[in-house]
Amino acid sequence: MLIINCPYCGPRDQSEFSNGGEAHVKRPDGSKEIGDREWGEYVFIRANPKGLFYERWVHTHGCRKWFNCVRDTSTDEILVTYKLDEKKPNLNNFKSVVKTPSGEPEVGSGNFTVEK
Amino acid sequence: MKSINLKDNQFIQFHQKISFKFDGVKYFGYKGDTIASALLRNNINLVGRSFKYHRPRGIYTCGIEEPNALVQIISEYSEPNTRATIKKIYEGIEIESQNRWPSLENDFGIINNLFSPIFTAGFYYKTFMGPHKKFWKNLYEPLIRRAAGLGKPPKDFKGISNHIHHNVDVTIIGGGLNGLLAAKSFINSNYDVLLIDFEEQLGGIINNSNKISLIDNKEPKDWLKETIQEIEESKNVKILKNTLVTTYNYINHLIAIEDRFVGYKPIEGKVNSTLHKIRTGHTILCNGHIERFLSFQNNDLPGIMLSSSFEKYMCRYGLAPSKEPVIFSNNSNSNSLVYSLIKVGLKPKAYIDSRSGEEIEPNLFDLIRKNDVPLYTNSQIKGAFGNKKIEKILVEDSSGALNEIKCDCLCLSGGINPDVHLFTQSKGLLDWDEKDLTYKPSKPFQPTITLGSASGQFNFDNLNSDVNEKLKTFKVKKLDVKLELNTNTKYNIEKLWEVSPQKKSLWAKSFIDLQNDVTTKDIRQAITEGFDRIEHLKRYTTNSMGTDQGKISSINALGIVSDLLDKKVNEVGTTIYRPPYAPLSFSAIAGRNCYEFYDPERKSPIHSWHLKNGAIFEDVGQWKRPWYFQINKDETMHEAVQRESINVRENAGILDGSTLGKIEIKGEDALEFMNLIYTNSFTKMKQGSARYALMLGEDGMVKDDGIICKISDQHFIATTTTGGAATVLGCMEEYAQTEWPNLKVFMNSITEQYATFNISGPKTREIMKKAFPNINFSNEEFPFMTFQFHEFNGIPIRILRASFTGELGYEIYIPSNSAPKIWDNIQSVGKEFGLASYGTEAMHLLRAEKGYIIVGQDTDGSITPIDLGLSWMIGKSKKDFLGKRSLTRSDTIREDRKQLVGIIPSNKADKLEEGQHIILDKEIKSPVPMLGHITSCYYSSTLGHDFALAVIKNGHSMIGTKAYASTSSMSTTGVDIVKPVFYDEDNKRLVS
Ligand SMILES: [Zn+2]
Repeated sequence: MLIINCPYCGPRDQSEFSNGGEAHVKRPDGSKEIGDREWGEYVFIRANPKGLFYERWVHTHGCRKWFNCVRDTSTDEILVTYKLDEKKPNLNNFKSVVKTPSGEPEVGSGNFTVEK
Repeated sequence: MKSINLKDNQFIQFHQKISFKFDGVKYFGYKGDTIASALLRNNINLVGRSFKYHRPRGIYTCGIEEPNALVQIISEYSEPNTRATIKKIYEGIEIESQNRWPSLENDFGIINNLFSPIFTAGFYYKTFMGPHKKFWKNLYEPLIRRAAGLGKPPKDFKGISNHIHHNVDVTIIGGGLNGLLAAKSFINSNYDVLLIDFEEQLGGIINNSNKISLIDNKEPKDWLKETIQEIEESKNVKILKNTLVTTYNYINHLIAIEDRFVGYKPIEGKVNSTLHKIRTGHTILCNGHIERFLSFQNNDLPGIMLSSSFEKYMCRYGLAPSKEPVIFSNNSNSNSLVYSLIKVGLKPKAYIDSRSGEEIEPNLFDLIRKNDVPLYTNSQIKGAFGNKKIEKILVEDSSGALNEIKCDCLCLSGGINPDVHLFTQSKGLLDWDEKDLTYKPSKPFQPTITLGSASGQFNFDNLNSDVNEKLKTFKVKKLDVKLELNTNTKYNIEKLWEVSPQKKSLWAKSFIDLQNDVTTKDIRQAITEGFDRIEHLKRYTTNSMGTDQGKISSINALGIVSDLLDKKVNEVGTTIYRPPYAPLSFSAIAGRNCYEFYDPERKSPIHSWHLKNGAIFEDVGQWKRPWYFQINKDETMHEAVQRESINVRENAGILDGSTLGKIEIKGEDALEFMNLIYTNSFTKMKQGSARYALMLGEDGMVKDDGIICKISDQHFIATTTTGGAATVLGCMEEYAQTEWPNLKVFMNSITEQYATFNISGPKTREIMKKAFPNINFSNEEFPFMTFQFHEFNGIPIRILRASFTGELGYEIYIPSNSAPKIWDNIQSVGKEFGLASYGTEAMHLLRAEKGYIIVGQDTDGSITPIDLGLSWMIGKSKKDFLGKRSLTRSDTIREDRKQLVGIIPSNKADKLEEGQHIILDKEIKSPVPMLGHITSCYYSSTLGHDFALAVIKNGHSMIGTKAYASTSSMSTTGVDIVKPVFYDEDNKRLVS
């Protein structure tokens, strides 16, 4: 289980939070004409990378505030959390700390076969 | 096996006798004994029958790694699979052996041993997948279910467990020599430290062996006492004893289980275990090592045990299980057993070492020579033999000659492994050490430090420098401990995994996994059959898949496989050690979240009235709602529901609607916000009026519905479905914060603050007039879909004229505390008008007659408002609202979407069934094109027949046509597709 640092309350147990999927997905302005494809991508399509990921969380059983974070999806480590109105951090800042469990390949499953 | 007590022991209280029962017979042990040590004291070594072949099994180890000695504790709700080697006895404890019938001595299942050539690797898979599946069902499964397995499930288990959370800087796992040294370094530092040990007494190897002779020139036990006292007195180190760390998760999250009744019978109603959930900055693993066994013919006979376990029984439990055991080893770790035996005046019957004379440590050589112990170097045990116990062994000596040695006990050592389970759970990497022949921790993945033998340091030479070096990231004092040893200082091992049997036979068995009855032959066969990847091999043979996870044997299996494949062990890899380290009970995991606390029950303020008035409840989310009211014991549900619904149509009914979600929305921009959240437009709506509204997902599908009351442009109250309340509030908050932070709007749940009564029926107005005499309920003063605030006997109430039944109706909102009073009042004034309570089932029937949908019953997340025929609810002039753009997507404007229609049986006497398909053909001939299905279905006394709502493809244009509904008896019923409204189509009664 993760410890998540709520930008409003501080570090708390994961059980207090809910995940809200990819962050920084802009909702298209409803007053403008947009095509099926563009709208469909907003509604249905989300990135699912192995590695660094901008993500939304909400402190459901706490202050009920939404916030953003950068999470390494291969280790679940949350590298930084920040408020919605803050600028999104540059992922290059975290590249050096990204690691995968047990030295598994960057893409693919985490099978424990050590190839040297 | 004849044991003797060694009374010079600080842990066993020889003055305090304890009686216990094993398989119905009374025995005596001493305070401090485990079940295993107490049984050995009574010369009992046959304690169970094996999993598959029902072979007699004895006590193999002296700790958590025990594969064989699993017993059932009858006196503790018949708790099964308890390790006899760790469970302490108490006065009156009742223990039973497992997996035997009719008795342990004469077990019928031993017949499996005769059939053993068919129970080989992959037996289960082959019988499951093979051509003779019938055999499986009719023959094998019933037989195997009876014969294979461990203990019986417990009875009426009422264990109580607490959960405790810790947040510390450093957690030290294991209070042996290295754990204590680490803890000592942290004394009076600025770190919060938790020291966890599985045993009642800290000390590990100091208590369990005679390896160490002096620490800082003191007797080890004196040094231990002083050190523990120092640690206990420090303010920053907390010690948890009797606590086993079972799980090492991400982000240094540890789970440990503490036994609160070690050596005592658990008291009913008291917490008997505590689950510790630990958050720690750093984890220091000092959890030591585990000795492994060796494979040879009949290496499972009772009387065979690990040599370090024998020594632990001597040092820790004041008991030598045998007076003259034979020792068989391939390494230096068993040296100290020889030393320990001779120290108390015993000696081994023989010492057999696979190593050559030059390899054997000189001081061991001297000891053996001086005491005339028969020594066999370069020798191996080919097999052990005996009836239900070891009686003799066959030794092949360096010349190749066979020697028979009679013995009652054999001590084995196949080398030692760092206990890497927790380290690998933490995702740390292991490396194979070709010299010490074991996997050792290499690269940690988390802030994990390993010390001592847990790190693969089997020698004591670098003790100080190792601890100091690994703890240098902390501001702690440096160690300088002087250690003197009784035996050798360097660990030495020669490769030996398995000795092949003297005679080849189908029945000869060399075990590689004692708990799961896996033999080395099974491993060979699996590899021959192509299962040469270690993870496949594990599952195919079930090797190391028992509750002990092959703690004493899994490395041996890797060794054997690597030899067979002619690969290095590192190339073979290891299987993944998964949590928990040792089994823990579900009750410990559940903690207090069980029984009534498993899921909270929510009750309306009127709940006690319902209880008194015959309500039968149904669960709606966490809420208890009256389903129907039984006026007498003989009334069936059908009768009650029809009575309640007719009464609403003819007189009046009252429903407790308090569980409906209620959300208050306020703020300068509340109007704009509501227009964005719901499909409807609230702009032109008058203050004091109400509107039925739909909420969509961004995909355009109906998510929730409710009635919105507009108090002003800055103030709304919305109701939601009972189940959707939290989701709707969450959704509003999400959009207010993430998409429209510029809007000034706030929202809060007021579900539990207000009770809601729904009164409806033709006589409702008269009842309301009488219940609230100061309010004018005329159509002109109080029209349909309006609401008013009033005060009644000092209680602020809100009355909304709305209806979910199709009759004239009102909803009354009352502060929860005052609700029962008003409820009672309405009940009593309503009596003369025939007012009766109705439950959710009658409500469902009444609303369905009107064609009102229930979100989640008639919709399923793939239904748009257009599909429901509710296009009129969409504020088309609005620029934007949730899901608006989706309503014009190519998929949502398709004509053949499933749409809501009404269904009535063509022959009125026919029955319809909820969930059945609507199809075009009378005959069911596969493939059957399915148009859709019935979502709601009831019998209506008002209509005099069954009717249903359904969603079917292109339904709107099919109204007026005929189709068929399938039935659960695989036939069909002719139906008419009609408009989804069956009663009062032009709403005359609603607005009357
Ligand atoms: Zn918070």
